[in-house]
Amino acid sequence: MDEFAEMALREREARRIARRQWFVLHAAVYGMMQIFLFIIWWLSDVSYPWFIFPLFGWGILVAAHAVYAFVVQDPEEIMVQRAARERDEQ
Amino acid sequence: MNWVLAPYRDPQTYRTAAYLVTGLVMGVFDFVVIITGLSLGFGLAVTVIGIPILIATFLVARSLATFERHLARNVLAAPLPRRRLISEPEGRGYLARLRGLVTSRRSWSEIAFLLLRLPMGILDFTVVVTVFALAFGGFVYPWLIVAGIDSSVGGWVIDTLPESLFYVPVSVLFFIVGGRLIQAWGEVSRRFATLFLGTVGRDEIKREVADLIARSGPVDAYQILRDVEFRLGDGPFLDATRVQAALVSLEEMGYISASAEGSLMVYRAA
Repeated sequence: MDEFAEMALREREARRIARRQWFVLHAAVYGMMQIFLFIIWWLSDVSYPWFIFPLFGWGILVAAHAVYAFVVQDPEEIMVQRAARERDEQ
Repeated sequence: MNWVLAPYRDPQTYRTAAYLVTGLVMGVFDFVVIITGLSLGFGLAVTVIGIPILIATFLVARSLATFERHLARNVLAAPLPRRRLISEPEGRGYLARLRGLVTSRRSWSEIAFLLLRLPMGILDFTVVVTVFALAFGGFVYPWLIVAGIDSSVGGWVIDTLPESLFYVPVSVLFFIVGGRLIQAWGEVSRRFATLFLGTVGRDEIKREVADLIARSGPVDAYQILRDVEFRLGDGPFLDATRVQAALVSLEEMGYISASAEGSLMVYRAA
């Protein structure tokens, strides 16, 4: 791997870490809000479990964010990694 | 104290405020032009005249977006690329370029920005005017009383000095946080502009890289990145991975060849 490729790799690593940190922040806010809503529900009228709507509605967004933070890769990243693998194999 | 005064000493705060205030005017103008063009063009598309109107609207949208990009980059300091008005490649024929103009992600992203500029511009204008009015308005009432001018807020007539001092604490509070609020809202606007106007397609970067290698002979990737940055500008739309991907793609297509020289790869036209 040449010097420039190493720099690009470091940049990608930094971006990946930032993405994961944003996800952790999002998940923490989500968790705290859900606990807060659950307590409001618990202290008020418990006959109708309305807290499940934000739990699942916002939960879908948190799940999508998790996929973006841990699974999704930019097409350019995939291309560069594939080329590096091929170069190493040669 | 420095935390309070630093935004007021920073010229960028006033540039940001100017950009936000003009957002209302620009938003109305952009929205009216694009909506008129698109509705007229699509409405008359069944007749011959609708298609040229639509094409003209896309060209006008490009021009407006180019101006907006220029404004956001120079006044708001948004990290946006410098782009040619027509970025579709030459040499593929007039019709192919026209199709590129209508179908490209760039065009639709720019049109979305121009349409959303109106609601965003209303918010921008409201935030700046409210913050400045609250930050400085309260200090004006005592001076008006000294000058013998009565004023009123809602139905309340302010005609004595103690009454005129009522809003001073409010203004002090808003003066303390006002500069920071303008800067924070400027950041929101900067991100909004970057989201819609700050993207550069993979093909475009590839073309820039290929063009550079063809013109300048053997170069290393650092030099390529520097030169493409010089042409397009520096921002999140351009990084080492994107340049590396363009080089890999061009190498695979057989347009360039790479050879190791020391710790660096050197690229030349094949």
